[in-house]
Amino acid sequence: MSTPANDGRVPLIEPEDLPVEVKRENEYGSLGSRDYLYQVKSLKDEPIQRPIIDTPPYYISLITYLNYLILMILGHVHDFLGMTFQKDRHLDVLERDGFAPWYSKFESFFARRMKKRIDDCFSRPTAGVPGRFIHCIDRISHNLNEYFTYPGSTSMCLNLSSYNYLGFAQSEGQCTDAALASVDNYGVQSGGPRTQIGSTDLHVEAEKLVASFVGKDDAMIFSMGYGTNANFFNAFLDSSCLVVSDELNHTSIRTGVRLSGTAVRTFKHNDMAGLEKLLREQIVLGQPKTRRPWKKILICVEGLYSMEGTVCNLPGIVALKKKYKCYLFVDEAHSIGAVGPNGRGVCDLFGVDPADVDILMGTLTKSFGAAGGYIAAQQWIMDRLRLDLTTANYSESIAAPVLAQIISSLKTITGELKPGEGKERLQRIAFNSRYLRLGLQRLGFIVYGSPDSPVIPMLLYCPSKMPAFSRMMLQRKIAVVVVAYPATPLIESRVRFCVSAALTKDDLDYLLRHVSEVGDKLYLKLSSGRASPPEDGNPPRWDIEDVIARTAEDCKDNKYFVI
Amino acid sequence: MAHIPQVLPSSIPIPSFVVKTYSYVWYYLYAILMKIPGGPYVISYVRKSHQDDPYRTAVEIILILYGIGYYLSKPQQKTGLQGTKPNLTEQEVELLIEDWQPESIVDESAMELQRWRLEKMPVLEMGENENRVTVTRNEGSERYTDVLNLASNNFLQLAGTPEVVEIVKKTIRNYGVGACGPAGFYGNQDVHYNFQYALAEFFGTEDAVLYGQDFCVASSVLPAFTKRGDLIVADDQVSISSQNALQLSRSTVYYFEHNNMESLEALLQELTEMEKKERLPAISRKFIVTEGLFHNSGDIPPLPVLTHLKNKYKFRLFVDETFSLGVLGASGRGLAEHFNMERASSIDVTIGSMATALGSSGAFVLGDHVMSHHQQIGSNAYCFSASLPAYTTTAATQVLKIMDRDNSAVTRLHQLSQQLHDFFNSDSQLSDFITVTSHERSPVLHIQLTPELRSSKFNYTAQELFETVSHLQKRCVTTKFVEPYEQEEQFLQSIVDTLLSQHGILITRNTIVLRQETLPVVPSLKVCINSNIEDSELTTACNAIKASILHYCSH
Repeated sequence: MSTPANDGRVPLIEPEDLPVEVKRENEYGSLGSRDYLYQVKSLKDEPIQRPIIDTPPYYISLITYLNYLILMILGHVHDFLGMTFQKDRHLDVLERDGFAPWYSKFESFFARRMKKRIDDCFSRPTAGVPGRFIHCIDRISHNLNEYFTYPGSTSMCLNLSSYNYLGFAQSEGQCTDAALASVDNYGVQSGGPRTQIGSTDLHVEAEKLVASFVGKDDAMIFSMGYGTNANFFNAFLDSSCLVVSDELNHTSIRTGVRLSGTAVRTFKHNDMAGLEKLLREQIVLGQPKTRRPWKKILICVEGLYSMEGTVCNLPGIVALKKKYKCYLFVDEAHSIGAVGPNGRGVCDLFGVDPADVDILMGTLTKSFGAAGGYIAAQQWIMDRLRLDLTTANYSESIAAPVLAQIISSLKTITGELKPGEGKERLQRIAFNSRYLRLGLQRLGFIVYGSPDSPVIPMLLYCPSKMPAFSRMMLQRKIAVVVVAYPATPLIESRVRFCVSAALTKDDLDYLLRHVSEVGDKLYLKLSSGRASPPEDGNPPRWDIEDVIARTAEDCKDNKYFVI
Repeated sequence: MAHIPQVLPSSIPIPSFVVKTYSYVWYYLYAILMKIPGGPYVISYVRKSHQDDPYRTAVEIILILYGIGYYLSKPQQKTGLQGTKPNLTEQEVELLIEDWQPESIVDESAMELQRWRLEKMPVLEMGENENRVTVTRNEGSERYTDVLNLASNNFLQLAGTPEVVEIVKKTIRNYGVGACGPAGFYGNQDVHYNFQYALAEFFGTEDAVLYGQDFCVASSVLPAFTKRGDLIVADDQVSISSQNALQLSRSTVYYFEHNNMESLEALLQELTEMEKKERLPAISRKFIVTEGLFHNSGDIPPLPVLTHLKNKYKFRLFVDETFSLGVLGASGRGLAEHFNMERASSIDVTIGSMATALGSSGAFVLGDHVMSHHQQIGSNAYCFSASLPAYTTTAATQVLKIMDRDNSAVTRLHQLSQQLHDFFNSDSQLSDFITVTSHERSPVLHIQLTPELRSSKFNYTAQELFETVSHLQKRCVTTKFVEPYEQEEQFLQSIVDTLLSQHGILITRNTIVLRQETLPVVPSLKVCINSNIEDSELTTACNAIKASILHYCSH
């Protein structure tokens, strides 16, 4: 049923009636050749280098700043004219009948005058499964994104945007069957808080599975990943404790820490020397004012940073944590399932014993195609947390169909269900990530991050190139995510490719060809070659055909990457 | 000395050597400047600027020199380890680091005394009937079959009807389970948008915004709008999710007495006068925060008075309707309908849950376009979290459709709530031991021990408990264990246990995390009903509950 085009509402899209094989292929492309697999090796004894950050030529930075300057000046002119002559269109930022506006003119300036110009690149409504392809609902922007209308059609785009790392976003297969069965057996409601009525045997089973998957005694599953962190830290920290946090940690961690009232010190992203200096200083100095020693110090890091594509230096952090008797919290929101030889996250990748990390947190939204988050730790820690976590005592519990999806996808990864399939998914995402990363590097783009990261940020710099890139990609039927300030530093606007096991090598070639072409048009090939191991000393500017011909074999070799 | 200025103010006595030095400096400076190309311009500029006052030029030159000196000087070292302040040697630092002994990561000291809480946690087994369940506890060592479930928050039980189940299955077959992305990045699907439209239409607001979990909505929405200097006036019995919101809001928070409108008006009056005195350059944002059906007590705020007051004093009304949407009002449209009011004109921000009466999972916020739009940019739990699974929205959309065309489930629920409350309110035997705090329309019956019984049996009062807990929180004491409170909780749990083991009825304690509560709270029991319960079942259950309470309280 499609609603008429012009009421500005997103229409409901009736699913296409496709044969099962086509549908399956659209959600999870079949593997072209066994060559396109890569088994991740543990980095247990490898030396960890700090990734080199490539910088663009100076004039690019200058143009970027100039770009922002122009946008800001135009924005202020726009604001001045609008608020003088068109008061009725700015009711949201002006005082009305003695009520303060919902938000201040100054604070919302960025959102109103800059983000709004490119709103058509965000919040694109979709329909159907966010698998190998994603159905973007077509929309027409009016009046500089003031509102959109929907003609009722969709475009099937190659999906580089969803966090569907292992390709479990599917509408048929063992996971969907499990979810459907759970609807019959348990229903869709969540009942109530875990400590009152919200626990079922399905919860117990899923928690045991997650715990054994990440290598801990016990785990707890919550219905929302953000909420897991945002209401976690107050269960065991107070203002006489200290959190030492990586500067790029996710907002959910920051919110959670703020709620607990704990003191926070940040260290530079992945800077081990800085971390050590900070720890030494804080242990000796203790609490400000009272000078009492901190009751406990918790180091908070993420496994894989979703905006940078970098993996935390876990061996380094564990060594420091042991040396200075601190506790360690690792948020594996993006890394669990997607990183490591067996998909068990950063501990698995670095060959670190999970017992050395006190608390492992992760989300189930991403690699498992479900929703929610978990916390895993030793039994005695979990026992206490079950009593003290507000989420467990006051919030809804996670619903059965989601649990069924988690259980079945986890069992697929470990090989309990459909032996071999999980392994293949892991090897496909590892190959795809490396292939795309090396391909982009060779074409001359600046990309950030670790070789085994399925998140590949590619730098655009100028804010005006962001919408241009996003729109041009959409025209070429590729869905990408562009991010800018405040999620990144001001000048480092970027596009973030989220690689999935559902993509085939042909898909990635299609992507590379178009990115290369758009990159030429937008002047994005800026790499100086510093960040990748040198091949001949010159900045890499390979021809697209060479890239496609040679990268599949080369990307399996560590010598082309900075580990 | 040709260039010594002619006019030296004679009124200020100046030692002659100063005059002399200055004259020499000026002479040579002049000589040098005259030789440098462009120098004459500088001289004429200086002459013009000092307006025949050489001292002024001198002061300016000294200032410039001081500025340059200050700029070039090394900044004061911050207090580092070997820096100026503690001035420790390397060895001393090592010793201090070695000496430091942190506390264990979580506090285990009271764990053995509280382990019963874990052991008494019920686990439901797979089963089709939500009201007749199989319960196990303590890792399967206790097992009870065919138990009447009086603990679920799924009040209307419409999500189990065949038409909803069919839609859910169809959605999973077309969308899979997870949405795999946040709303800003391709995570919101057509069904999410259409559910938002359905919510707004059903509850009579301009717009609605979806969230992933009910508990973290308030603490994300309120801080998205407030900042330092804004005012919040909150009921002093709001639940912990609103308490978190107040803590994160950065605003100045005042509390009024629970549901006491005189107390509220007096406070608003006082605040308005204070504001007038301060003469701020802009009006600050002002909110009244309360709940639709209170989480801890089950009573209802007088919305007409609240609306009147908020309009009179220019506050915005923020109501957490987690428990009241789908329950209050003839067709389940919540607090506003209960008082026959329009939601759009009476409540500014409504928090609703899909996990209670709507029988799905997730949460939402209702309000006008401007507010909803800003949440999509500024509310953390919306921006930084993945969208809900598609099936949760289609399930809830269908439930709304059923509620819209047929309010029999809501009517039935009201009837049962009335029956439940009548039974407990009219019983003279029980009133010696317990008080029922919930409103008769509340599907959750809240039972507390009377203050007299509490002080005679456990020897403490609600106020004492609050003071003890605040004291522990302020002093950052790690072990927050209050023995009499724990005893009362255990006492209530024994009532729950008896009902489960002897009568096959599952009710629950209101589980409280005492260490997190920043407002007064006491232990209570909750009896939750739903519209699928038979009259006879309820009567039997009421009698059994009464018998158990009497059994434990009377000796």
